[in-house]
Amino acid sequence: MAITRHNLLTNDAVRQQYAQGVNLLKHEFTGPTTTSVGIPGPSQPVSTYDLFVVWHHTAMSTMTPLTQGDRNAAHRGPIFCPWHRFMLRQLELNLQRVLHDVSFGLPYWDWATDGQKTATRQKKSKVWAVDAMGGSGNPVKTGPFTFNAADPTSFRIRIEADVNGQLVQRAHGLRRALGTLVSTLPKKADTVGALALTPYDVTPWDTSSSGFRNRVEGWAPPATPALHNRVHVWVGGDMLPSSSPNDPVFYMNHCNVDRIWEAWLTQHGRDYLPLQRAPAFLKGHRINDLMSSLLSAPMRPADVLDMTSIYVYDSLAV
Amino acid sequence: MPSRRVMVVPTTTSIASYVKKNAVSVKQLRKHSHQKTETIRNAEHHGHHILVRTHYEIEVDGQMLMGHMGVTNDGHVHYHPLPNLSFTSAIDLVRQLIDTFPDDFATPGTGSMRGMERKKTTTTTTTKAGHAHH
Repeated sequence: MAITRHNLLTNDAVRQQYAQGVNLLKHEFTGPTTTSVGIPGPSQPVSTYDLFVVWHHTAMSTMTPLTQGDRNAAHRGPIFCPWHRFMLRQLELNLQRVLHDVSFGLPYWDWATDGQKTATRQKKSKVWAVDAMGGSGNPVKTGPFTFNAADPTSFRIRIEADVNGQLVQRAHGLRRALGTLVSTLPKKADTVGALALTPYDVTPWDTSSSGFRNRVEGWAPPATPALHNRVHVWVGGDMLPSSSPNDPVFYMNHCNVDRIWEAWLTQHGRDYLPLQRAPAFLKGHRINDLMSSLLSAPMRPADVLDMTSIYVYDSLAV
Repeated sequence: MPSRRVMVVPTTTSIASYVKKNAVSVKQLRKHSHQKTETIRNAEHHGHHILVRTHYEIEVDGQMLMGHMGVTNDGHVHYHPLPNLSFTSAIDLVRQLIDTFPDDFATPGTGSMRGMERKKTTTTTTTKAGHAHH
């Protein structure tokens, strides 16, 4: 029986479970160390949660193919939706494991609903409450991911990307700067507009493409950053670098992107492009190409096009 | 139907095993430092093939940025470590880098910048454009 993924703001229990699970994964060490994954400095154990940070950064830094500078193994091309679905599912499975609850489903943040509010009210959304994701700041001082320098068990950033695009060891609290770089979140009209676009993706298969994927990723005009990208930028702080999964809100954003994709698949058919017969310069983005993996066996876009027997959303209304 | 892999429950043992197997892809990235990054753009126009090679060398306080910078066909500049933004100006992009990575930029006048490689070079931004008949 499929599990249900709920709106973060309408299900208190799943919101609390999510925060609890994240903190458990943040303190689970299965053996990998900074040395074993090539991060310089003293050898330190890397938590399961932080391995997802490493994975995201690695996929984002892997050009597909190496001869061009736009598409990477998780972004700026067709692979954006399936790769993040793969990542979300792996996190969900690990949260189920540490929570001992196989019915747990990742919650999503319907940011376009908040985007209908004034800029001031967006920053006061319940998402940022003490009993949700906590607030803004450097470091964040409220909620389940509060930093306390004197408490080594408190939530902290241990691995992040530096300005040169290299993973480095750090020890600071979670940083957010809500509504600073851009003042407003995407609106309902933005998500509705994306949902209407077909096909899924189209030549030149990059940040100038006119299909659904490029719109929902947030590169398509008229206003950029848009949709997914805009949410990263609006939250700011640790949501900006390639190590953005450091902020647990990352998954709430992407779960909503996945929900929008699921709405698109339901409405337009479970089709993905490019097909496997597409030219080699699209390797890494074709329907049966193996996707970048770190903590599990790799998967293909074809494996994740129909997840309805695994999970459903409580609503596909965008 | 989804692959059975989406239902395989991970264990602490399986995670350690897969990370050990896949760590090579993480380590390889460290070998890719980009002192000079090049973007090659191609387009067709009225039967002509356009190829534009763009090189960026960027310094802040005399120290070179080592991340990959690229430019898309519409002229927007992007930088891998700042993945959700693109800019019409490379200068504006670097301003944003300074704001986004405070740990890597010391306060002006206080010395070196953490995370940045000291390498004296001249600051250049060059582009080459050409076309050929087909």
